[in-house]
Amino acid sequence: MAVVLFVSLPAITSIVHRMRRWYGPFLLLAPTIIVMSYAFITPLLNFFEYSFYRFRRGRLEQVFNLDTYWRFFSDDYYHIVIYDTLRMATIVTVLSLLIGYPLAYALYRVNRPALKRWLGLLIFSPLLVSVVVRSYGWIVLLGDQGPINWLLAKLGLVSEPVALVFNLLGVVISLTHVFLPFMVFPIFSSLMRVDPALREAAEDLGAGWWTTFWRVTLPLSLPGIVAGAQICFTLSLGAFVTPAMLGGGRVLVLPLQIYNATADINWPVAAVGGIALLLIAMVTVAGFNRLLKYSEVH
Amino acid sequence: MDADVEFVNVTKAFDGFVAVDDISFSVEKGSFFSLLGPSGCGKSTTLRMASGFEHPDRGELRIGGQDMLNVPPFRRPTNMVFQRWALFPHMTAAQNVAFGLEVERLPRKEIIDRVRQALALVGLVELADRKPGQLSGGQMQRVALARALVKRPKVLLLDEPLGALDLKLRTQMQLELKRIQREIGTTFIYVTHDQGEAMTMSDRIAVMNKGRIEQIDAPKVIYDRPATRFVAGFIGNANIAPVLIECVHSGEAKVRIGNVSFVITGVENVRPGKGYMALRYERVRIGASADNMPVRFQAEVSDVIFVGSVVQYVFNILESPLELIAEISHEGGGARLERGDHTAVGWLAEAPRLFGED
Repeated sequence: MAVVLFVSLPAITSIVHRMRRWYGPFLLLAPTIIVMSYAFITPLLNFFEYSFYRFRRGRLEQVFNLDTYWRFFSDDYYHIVIYDTLRMATIVTVLSLLIGYPLAYALYRVNRPALKRWLGLLIFSPLLVSVVVRSYGWIVLLGDQGPINWLLAKLGLVSEPVALVFNLLGVVISLTHVFLPFMVFPIFSSLMRVDPALREAAEDLGAGWWTTFWRVTLPLSLPGIVAGAQICFTLSLGAFVTPAMLGGGRVLVLPLQIYNATADINWPVAAVGGIALLLIAMVTVAGFNRLLKYSEVH
Repeated sequence: MDADVEFVNVTKAFDGFVAVDDISFSVEKGSFFSLLGPSGCGKSTTLRMASGFEHPDRGELRIGGQDMLNVPPFRRPTNMVFQRWALFPHMTAAQNVAFGLEVERLPRKEIIDRVRQALALVGLVELADRKPGQLSGGQMQRVALARALVKRPKVLLLDEPLGALDLKLRTQMQLELKRIQREIGTTFIYVTHDQGEAMTMSDRIAVMNKGRIEQIDAPKVIYDRPATRFVAGFIGNANIAPVLIECVHSGEAKVRIGNVSFVITGVENVRPGKGYMALRYERVRIGASADNMPVRFQAEVSDVIFVGSVVQYVFNILESPLELIAEISHEGGGARLERGDHTAVGWLAEAPRLFGED
């Protein structure tokens, strides 16, 4: 017995080694796979199933039909909800890009390490505050009696307070504020990857600052822009607390609509809304990726 | 002389470190001029001042007779080939070359023609639509050259453009660069730390050390008559030995090393006292060839180094602390001398160069 064990030990070791080589990566992935399948795939299949049920007279009926899908496609109410959701996400993404790119560029060109660190922390700061606290903060800041309206009135620019909150504007301001770091840091890191000698080469070939930026720096930072825009857009699509608190009931986006449906136990509508949200996110991510061909190195 | 580039007493310091220390030189129109020196000698800074990326603290800089001190890089009649070529990775070879012309807003047709000419000059027409990532080092180097030359600069600046290539390709590109320079007649200023590269291509070389220019001359003069001990040691292989200069009289010096003394002729600017002698490896004769040399000693072979085309013998001169290396061309047979052999070594009186103490 002992002899057999002794003889076969190297063989066993080699098998274990080979298994390690094959299964090593999978072992590392296991926690992710377990969490993803339990918390994402299963619920997804689950509400995919619910989307085919029927909700009638306040009750869920477990019969297969496509009524909810049909309603989603034909009812203007849902069209408006989807349109408003897309509009809000687009505005937030564009605004984040317009504010975020110059910020990322500044962060990239700042030479003093201390200043760079503080600027980075400042850009990151919205994420340090809880969404509820931040939303209340914005309500105070943007309210009719808030400091912004007070300043506008003092300067005599407006006679009536401007409606900055409890509408789309308030939601957009707050979302842009919190998603800004998701735009700035990817752009910053792709700018950092651009060889500084390329700017010198462009200048040497007769290009001024703007041409150098437009034809060299900007195309080469496209991967960062695309990554930032994808994150901003998908996060905006799924934003719930901010539209709920700062929208004042006037901003009905898909996540809110799904929440309302769930509260009514109208699970089929909630499920179809969720699927719609997922599809929109997937389509936009794929669409943004097409932009990358302008920065392709090969 | 018709000068294309003139540096007059130019000084540049970075945070108190003097990178370029009061240098003056001028580059003749249509010539191939090299700035040669070890890393950190200020040669790249000098080139970057010519291109406009650095500004001199003091001194004057003229290109084509015009003062350049307040002219930004994009308005200078110079173009640069960068160290690692700095090609735009998202553009094809042709787009890279066209960039400088598009910036000038030239008519489309002229751009297409000139890009094709430039790519033909460097032999890359077939690869015009490839991006830098799909090109080899040598090909990228050619694109960088075409991109700079297509602008028809008065002066082309090259910052160690061959440094990243392997030896074979580097030798080939040296000849190619020289051919292109002759063909288009543009002034080239070439920065390198590789003495062989500078010797092969240049009409004139400025040897730099610690921010100063040690010597400016044609390659042959620099090799045969180095002006300083640094130049003698940096270019080619030389035995450099401390000597005691006993007397100097009308270009002839009597020098002593330990117990041996001999005469060196063709001596300039030295006074009796401590000094250094530099003697090229290949100027040392051994065995029968040493017989009729005016300076001759008995020596013992302490080492034999087989290099390939040549064999180097390390000698100890008997009764002196002097160690000498002699380089003899390798004629195919085995080494003619072994360790421990005794033989005669000798050289012509004008062969060594004599320098005073720095």
